[in-house]
Amino acid sequence: MERIVNDFQLNIATANGTGSQSANLILLHTMFNMGVPVSGKNLFPSNISGLPTWYILRVSDNGYQAPGDRTHIQIIMNKATWDDDIANCLPGTLILFNTDVKMPVEREDCIVIGVPMTKMARGLNPKLGKMISNMVYVGLLAEILGLDDAALDAALAQQFKGKVRAIELNLEAVDLGRNFIKENADISTIPFRIEPRDVDENLFLVEGNEAVALGSHYGGVGLLSWYPITPSSSLAEGIIAYIPELRTDENGDHYCAVIQAEDELAAVGMVVGAGWSGIRAMTATSGPGISLMSEFIGLAYFAEIPGVIWDVNRTGPSTGLPTRTQQGDLTMLYEASHGDTTHPVLIPGNMQECFEYGWKAFDVAERLQTVVFGFSDLDLGMNRWACKGFEYPETPMDRGKVLRTQAELDAIENYGRYRDVDGDGIPYRTLPGSGLDPILYRGTGHDEDGVYSEKPEVYQALMMRLKRKMDNARTWLPQPVLREEVEKEVGIIYYGSMENSIQEIDDILEDEIGRKVSQCRVRSLPLSPVVEQFIQDHETVIVLEINRDGQLYGILRRELPHELIPKMHSAAYSDGMPPRARHYSELIKNVLKEVSE
Amino acid sequence: MTIKLNVIDLPKDDYTGGKSTLCPGCGHDQISNVIINAAWDNGLHPEKLAKMSGIGCSSKTPAYFLGKSHGFNTVHGRMPAVTTGAAMGNRGLTFLAVSGDGDSASIGIGQFIHAVRRNLDMVYVLENNGVYGLTKGQYSATAVKGSKKKKGPTNEHQPIDLCKLAINLGCTFVARSFSGSKKQLTALMKAAMSHKGFALIDIISPCVTFNNNDESLRSYTYVKDNDVELHAYDYIPTQTPIESAAAPEGEFHDITLFDGSTLRLETIGSDHDPSDAMAALSALHKAEAEDKHVTGLLYFDPTKATAVEDQCLVETPLSEVDDNTMRPSAASLETLNTRFRGKA
Repeated sequence: MERIVNDFQLNIATANGTGSQSANLILLHTMFNMGVPVSGKNLFPSNISGLPTWYILRVSDNGYQAPGDRTHIQIIMNKATWDDDIANCLPGTLILFNTDVKMPVEREDCIVIGVPMTKMARGLNPKLGKMISNMVYVGLLAEILGLDDAALDAALAQQFKGKVRAIELNLEAVDLGRNFIKENADISTIPFRIEPRDVDENLFLVEGNEAVALGSHYGGVGLLSWYPITPSSSLAEGIIAYIPELRTDENGDHYCAVIQAEDELAAVGMVVGAGWSGIRAMTATSGPGISLMSEFIGLAYFAEIPGVIWDVNRTGPSTGLPTRTQQGDLTMLYEASHGDTTHPVLIPGNMQECFEYGWKAFDVAERLQTVVFGFSDLDLGMNRWACKGFEYPETPMDRGKVLRTQAELDAIENYGRYRDVDGDGIPYRTLPGSGLDPILYRGTGHDEDGVYSEKPEVYQALMMRLKRKMDNARTWLPQPVLREEVEKEVGIIYYGSMENSIQEIDDILEDEIGRKVSQCRVRSLPLSPVVEQFIQDHETVIVLEINRDGQLYGILRRELPHELIPKMHSAAYSDGMPPRARHYSELIKNVLKEVSE
Repeated sequence: MTIKLNVIDLPKDDYTGGKSTLCPGCGHDQISNVIINAAWDNGLHPEKLAKMSGIGCSSKTPAYFLGKSHGFNTVHGRMPAVTTGAAMGNRGLTFLAVSGDGDSASIGIGQFIHAVRRNLDMVYVLENNGVYGLTKGQYSATAVKGSKKKKGPTNEHQPIDLCKLAINLGCTFVARSFSGSKKQLTALMKAAMSHKGFALIDIISPCVTFNNNDESLRSYTYVKDNDVELHAYDYIPTQTPIESAAAPEGEFHDITLFDGSTLRLETIGSDHDPSDAMAALSALHKAEAEDKHVTGLLYFDPTKATAVEDQCLVETPLSEVDDNTMRPSAASLETLNTRFRGKA
């Protein structure tokens, strides 16, 4: 039988709250420790315990990270989804199922192995039987796929943080699984194998939310105010977890305050208050939170107060699919609040950028004196991704135009809080407590000295200055990452977590239409002029995104010259799942077909 | 003519603000004057004060006092959150906040409650008139049942009493006063400024335009005639030795405030013990049943930690900590990278 090595997908069907996440992460880390390119996606329900959950492990020597076209190995533990899980298996799938569930598996066209996982686990420990039955399937897979013992040991030690008793018990369950296969199965009939690859000693796995949390600390965050919401809570909790190690002085006193606010309105209000007082403040939320925060976001824009908001996008609208992913908030972030407003949005596509934008968001916010969004999503934020390591900020903090002494204030000719003395749209500010030229900040119309005004020409000049301020940022915010083909026929524009599917999309297109495409990964809003140049340079441009309406496409259509619009096309799709290469490559092929007709 | 200076050698002009744009005779302007006098008398440093407000007639008043202090006229009902954030950023600031009954009892009641719950160190001046002024005279949630404003029907809804609410939430300083009682209000304002923790002064401040008619239970005349005072008050500043303050003829007792000053409570009628929350609630319920307004220091508890103290922050205001201290070291990041790589 022909072996299939390092190129298959596992799907593990369990019930939420049964401890399967530990087993699944141990599988992920074991393969990762063997140097095998692997990614894991946790598809979990909005529920504490009992509802179905699936874990998808994609093993790919090509480095493909999104869920692929099919499942090759199906683990079935959950009665509730039993029939569907079996029905979804294509011929040739290896099915490992728990016979203690006492449900039938009738698939002549698959390799089916039934294992009394619960009974075996109960034999080890009657109380924890249900939990460690998951470790039995780790053992089954370890034996079938050829997982390395040392790599598995390291993964266990990491998952159970060195707790000897837990490690021993789980290792015994793994051995039960291994022995079961040795005694009851002929693995020569099973094609799937894992083979070790060169291990990159610098690589590790981390969740995007933890990377942002760490980045925020290296940005010197002084206040985190937040309201719990999936999928952003682990970002806030990540910040809290690192305060003792990173933000505490020799007396045990902290350099970072944390407030779990009464709601998102209060959370962002505290960010605005703290930004006004002169510190770096942030909140983390998801779409429903941003909807609630919108009034304050407009205040910060208009009164020019720095702050950082991380949106870990989940599937909207409304409560939507709270535990699924999407890029559905982009337009809202860019324009949040009533009236004419624009906000910078930083869009990381990998773990290093999650960390980098964690600290950089504060530099942008203080330099522009405005609210800056970090735009992540559930896929990037809550799944574990390979990271090469976090890089220390190469520049000192950019605190922006803050006048801290009378001498600095005196050096400004004709100072006014909202006067554009440098011609870059950015005024100077003084801080409360300094006694320097105090004003009453307000969300009402104000003149260049901060005094209430309803004069038409004053309002219009202020709004145009704010626009100029944002437009000037287009050239220095994180610029797009380009990968251009010589022919420049087809250009793909994409952003954020789509980064993890783009290589596979590119390979599918090359295979199936024999065409290489250029790529432009957008990393910030407002858009860089480089994006316009990319569109200029290509014959056909397709904008890929994980939403229904093509939100970035809409922004491009509005902001770019009319003559470029006919060559731009949207390939937008969203079903709550991480972006699968097959969906997008089909959309792209359809666009190219239409264009050629 | 010599200009009179306060204990930190500043003239009263350093505590005044812009010209009021409120209706002539508005209670809010009297309160602004009390704030100016109290801050000047107490010798507060204007640059260390922060004036906070929400939206409404009352929230406009920070433009009319303390012109040398930074201020923030925020959004409707959300001033407590902004104040909370600013307090975390600069613990050296003294927060003087003004809100109204619409701002605090309706749109912002959640934020009011949570600021009290956290014992945010601030003076919360509630200018309470029972109506929305800027939108031309709708009832607010504090309007008394059975009261009638100048236009429209009698109010049939139960009022929300923010003093009762604050006492139930464990607020550390709860007072009610009347904009027309300058002496009482000034003593209570000074005491609130000397308190550490959340100090609520709910001030009945009649709306001369929409709610000062004969059928209103919040008109000047009605409140003046139906004011039940808990005590007569005398504020004795830190620098005045308590022995040198003239003792009143009748019974009295003293409350020592956080900054060392004293609030002297002189007994009038039956005595009220401001450490007794039940007595405070009882006084409020009794007054309400009799269509009276009880004024004075209702409740006082100097023992609770403030929102900032709960955070275990460094002593230096975070806004003054240098950037290299706020950003963890490069070595700490290398330690983290090593640990993530499983080599620590």
